[in-house]
Amino acid sequence: MSDRQLADWRNHALNLESEVNKVVVGQQTPIRLITTSIFARGHVLLEGDVGVGKTTLLRAFTRGIGGGYQRIEGTIDLMPNDLVYHTYLGEDGKPHVSAGPLLMSGENLSVFFFNEINRARPQVHSLLLRVMAERSLSAFNSEHYFPHMIVFADRNQVEKEETFEIPSAARDRFMMEIPIVVPNDDAIMEALVFDTKFHNVDALVNTVQADVLQFDQLNAFSGVVQSSVEASETLKKYALNLWKATKSPLDYGVKVSGVDMNRLVLSGASPRGMSMMLRAARVNAWLNERTAVLPEDIHAVFHSTVAHRLVFSPVYEMRRTEIAREMLAGIINAVAAP
Amino acid sequence: MKKLIRLVYIALLVNLAPQTAFAIDSQNLPDVPDGIVSISTIDPVRLVGYTVGDIIEREVTLTIKAPYKLIETSLPITGYEKRYKGQVIGIELKSVSHTKKENKNSSTFNIKLAYQIFTNNVVAKNAALGPEYLNLINTKNSQDLVKYRIPSLDIAISPIAIFGQVKIENNMSPLRGPLLLSNVKENKALKISIGFLAISLLGLLYILGQHAWLPRMGGTFAKTYRALGKLPATHEGLKQAVSKVHASLNSSANMSVFSNNVTLFIAQKPNFAPMADEIKLFFSLSRQVYFEPNSAHQVGNNPQQWLKSFARRCRDCERGLTPETPNQASGK
Repeated sequence: MSDRQLADWRNHALNLESEVNKVVVGQQTPIRLITTSIFARGHVLLEGDVGVGKTTLLRAFTRGIGGGYQRIEGTIDLMPNDLVYHTYLGEDGKPHVSAGPLLMSGENLSVFFFNEINRARPQVHSLLLRVMAERSLSAFNSEHYFPHMIVFADRNQVEKEETFEIPSAARDRFMMEIPIVVPNDDAIMEALVFDTKFHNVDALVNTVQADVLQFDQLNAFSGVVQSSVEASETLKKYALNLWKATKSPLDYGVKVSGVDMNRLVLSGASPRGMSMMLRAARVNAWLNERTAVLPEDIHAVFHSTVAHRLVFSPVYEMRRTEIAREMLAGIINAVAAP
Repeated sequence: MKKLIRLVYIALLVNLAPQTAFAIDSQNLPDVPDGIVSISTIDPVRLVGYTVGDIIEREVTLTIKAPYKLIETSLPITGYEKRYKGQVIGIELKSVSHTKKENKNSSTFNIKLAYQIFTNNVVAKNAALGPEYLNLINTKNSQDLVKYRIPSLDIAISPIAIFGQVKIENNMSPLRGPLLLSNVKENKALKISIGFLAISLLGLLYILGQHAWLPRMGGTFAKTYRALGKLPATHEGLKQAVSKVHASLNSSANMSVFSNNVTLFIAQKPNFAPMADEIKLFFSLSRQVYFEPNSAHQVGNNPQQWLKSFARRCRDCERGLTPETPNQASGK
């Protein structure tokens, strides 16, 4: 693919970002990270309180990239089959089976949103994780494929009652965990409350230009981005040092206030995690019109691709978010390149 | 009633009689034996030029060995007019105070005497403070009373105004040293000038110096600047140079500095603020050398020379100096 085509796609990507930024205000960083994950073909865990605009954000992206959008709410009585089908009695009085959210859009499914994933049982997690890893599902004696699907799952870190913590192996399947927080700009906060255009979500999402990208071409183009953007030896060494630092931060002089660093990290980032980090960094380099990855590209995605993969001692789990933030910032400050 | 008055009169006479009997003229007593009293005095530095109204102070320290002891009532009396050959000399003891320290084998008296001049003359005349006589008693033999003489101090009393035409050389007191011109002002100016020159020289050496013998001289950029001059003018040399400058930036910031946290670095190290634009140029060079060979940098055709001058200007910032502009540094 020529440089011109790379540039054309970049323009489309930036146009999509700009469209989404119009309807979801004050979320430039999460929007850039979601754009990155779309082009890196990685699943995303969204972290944030209720009512901060996660669903609107995803619907706006889905409209921009085209394809099917499906959503399911995580509840304690949700079973795996609820994702695949549901049964009902038809008008003819006979039982009927119809496709569940996973199958409803067929191969055109582009965004699957699992709201409050930590309220669902581990069996449901298992099914979803298989679908995420293999993008396929066996049901009704046949194999169903979702080649263009990206899963966005949401979890609320504040409420812990009646929830099932997502195990580290499951978290590792997500390319990124992106925090969505309420913007702290007074003007934006005021607009969100008083500007009536934000009150009708359907109308708001419809203002996003449709099909800015072609969802069914993203897989192919993602491969092109990954092969076009180089990573120098120095950059590889830097990434490896970052990886080692996530495993033994103390070796790099990284400390977190009020934490015994010898006991903190049970497991650092996984090989899959670091590979996903590099995929995302390459996309970030491409979005910034670079032909090679710089340390700054890694920094842009480091926290969102690594923080949720770290396994801490249980005693520190309750403070995971702040500890991970401080530790990863310390790693960036401690590891030099070149 | 008359009887009573007579009785009171007799009682008064009996009480006063012993005191009058002990009134002794010090000068008639024998001198204290040698070695019993040692004396030290603190006299005024100036012994001439006194005139009416001046107060002159002396401090006398006496150490009196046992068994002799000073009869404190024999200390000079304030207000007593000094006489010489029966004539009032116009010097009066204005105040006297003393402190006493007793030891097992001796006692020490510190006596402060202040004399006031009440005389004057049309020409300079000699005068003396003292002498003063003190009485001592042998504590083992109350009949053994002796005197001790505090030597006098010669001074010269000067007229308030010169009377008639005086040739000053003939009138100079031998007690006064030669008149000297004051060179205090010139000495002070000389010392300030030497100090200023020394500081200037140190400043010059600090700016031009290569070695760490003053505070902040051995900074990381000073070392890097020296090291850059020794690197070969090859691509490998350029890589090493960029790496060394990176290390210096990191060391200065105490964290890894990248193009996306230069603002934070400058906020922490405001000395480097004049280098903000050049630091960005440095990162464009680093990007080309280490990460993206296809990218372009804007540091010119001789990146190693540019790096050297960049490191020098960073060294100036490190030392708290204002860095030269790139043109000054390259001598243009």
